Amino acid sequence: MKNITRREFLKASGIGIAILGTGGEASFAAATKGRRVVVIGGGWGGATAAKYIRLADPSIEVTLLEPSKEFISCPFSNLVLSGVESLKRLTMGYNGLRKHGVKIRHEAATAIEPDKRRVKVGNDYLEYDRLVVSPGIDFQWDQVEGLDKAKDTVLHAWKAGAQTVKLAQQLQSMKDGGVFVMTVPPVAYRCPPGPYERACQVAWYLKTKKPRSKLIVLDANKDIVSKTGLFKTVFKDYPNLEYRPSNKAEKIDVGSREITTEPGDKVKYDVINLIPPQRAAAIAVEADLVGGDKRWCEVDHVTYESVKQKNIHVIGDSTIGLPVPKSGNIANAMGKICAVAVVHLLSDKEAPVIAPGNTCYSWVNDKEAIAVVNSYKIENRKVVQIEQKLTPGKSVAVAQNSLAWRASIWSDILG
Amino acid sequence: MRKSINLSIYFTAFGLMLLAFNADASPLDSPGAFKALVCSACHGFGGDSPGSTVPILAGMSPAYFKKAIKDYAEGKRPSPEMEPYAKYVVEAGLDEIAAYFAEQKKQSTRIKSNPAAIRRGMAAAGQCTVCHNPQGEGEPEKGFPDLRGQPAGYLQAQMLLLKEEKRKLQDTTLADLKQKVLKRLSDRVIADLAAYYSSLK
Repeated sequence: MKNITRREFLKASGIGIAILGTGGEASFAAATKGRRVVVIGGGWGGATAAKYIRLADPSIEVTLLEPSKEFISCPFSNLVLSGVESLKRLTMGYNGLRKHGVKIRHEAATAIEPDKRRVKVGNDYLEYDRLVVSPGIDFQWDQVEGLDKAKDTVLHAWKAGAQTVKLAQQLQSMKDGGVFVMTVPPVAYRCPPGPYERACQVAWYLKTKKPRSKLIVLDANKDIVSKTGLFKTVFKDYPNLEYRPSNKAEKIDVGSREITTEPGDKVKYDVINLIPPQRAAAIAVEADLVGGDKRWCEVDHVTYESVKQKNIHVIGDSTIGLPVPKSGNIANAMGKICAVAVVHLLSDKEAPVIAPGNTCYSWVNDKEAIAVVNSYKIENRKVVQIEQKLTPGKSVAVAQNSLAWRASIWSDILG
Repeated sequence: MRKSINLSIYFTAFGLMLLAFNADASPLDSPGAFKALVCSACHGFGGDSPGSTVPILAGMSPAYFKKAIKDYAEGKRPSPEMEPYAKYVVEAGLDEIAAYFAEQKKQSTRIKSNPAAIRRGMAAAGQCTVCHNPQGEGEPEKGFPDLRGQPAGYLQAQMLLLKEEKRKLQDTTLADLKQKVLKRLSDRVIADLAAYYSSLK
């Protein structure tokens, strides 16, 4: 019998684990060597991947790099503009991931060094055996003349958070009889039906609270990009909504409160919501994960490994080439599938072939929603759509389903 | 201050914990688990759905799961959400996915219903017991689902679909019986019945 201190006990038990866990030969450090994963980005894709790697194999060390201490859901944030939802209810913490043993550093990854298999964080480097990059999108400010200088006041609110709240305030303080102008960027962009859901929310708010006001939607695309027929029907509920396709935002002048579009139209506004053209976030571009277009990252459809860089996997909105939308549900699915692939590859096993799925709801007023659902299979190692199905129309039941969906998927990502 | 700890006991305890840990397979360690990964977005991890309108799949009878999936895939049960996913399940491996959910510990919804609605539902449930048995356990192998602990929103939505003939049972005798029962019930009683069955374990 021997009396020991708590610290001595912790040391001793650590050795105990190492001995028992590795058959008595190797050290604990050796057991984790070759099994370190770094995840960049704690959004719908990255947070899911970090959690599921630990679920699939708790012996793998997973470090998640995410500057924000809170997860704010982009899905449902359009409803904050209309006051139907609060940002607080869309905001969650990362403690659930810590319970799975994910190490979280609330810092930004500033560079990836693929040759050295390490990520720069501040003045520090984090080494990895496999890296999962889920960086989301960045805006191409230079695509709209005058925007770069005006970006503090001309809001996108396309990353849920402070801008969402500010835009809601701008809408609320607009005089009745005012003109709210929003622009839809050219494809590809985050959340294809998102701009049209936002248009419905703003139009519903104006119809209810400021009936003499007007919403003008300037769409860079030829037609409504997603749930086209459903949105066209719903738009009829809003005589205050003017939809102008093939009107790409070219120039913004905050002095004269005027936006110029590609055919040369000039549109005056009281409040502007300019959603700029997008590309994969800067870190993915700088690490040369993007293709010839310098915008998006091409990946293997089974493992999500980058086609450009070995041992680096890319998931979520920054990817391109799969027949899937840039949606939260897809990012969550990619996170799970990529996690399983990473776990297999770290053990020199072949990754199982798993297809993603997509469920996507859009609220069209304060209580009704529409939805699109896509299922997929994998043929010859490529993702192929099995079926796309739309709801027959808007309904309260679909909106209720969307609340069940969010309770489930938020818990799947963070719980 | 020094805490007295018996070293040998702790080594033994840790050894046992470790053995238990190794013996415990990862929650993803089954042939159907990978194929069911996409399901957890709506149905919760392991089919433990936290939402009101989405059914709990954990512990579901494989026979009933397979019947439901086939019905959704063929459009016999209308659901824009489930039709594409049911086709995915058939494509990916119906047996393995059914077995995966059946292996999970049966869960009851964590959403609590109004006690008064539960009491009213219990009083009105007599006519349901003919097929769903006295405690709502049904006979899933014969196509009569176990209603216990399913979220009230899901049970209510299904009863309304059946009442409004948007969902039909394939057995015509049963379909007629179900129609007769449900047509007599107001939407309020249907909500009470849903509350009652969701409260059962």
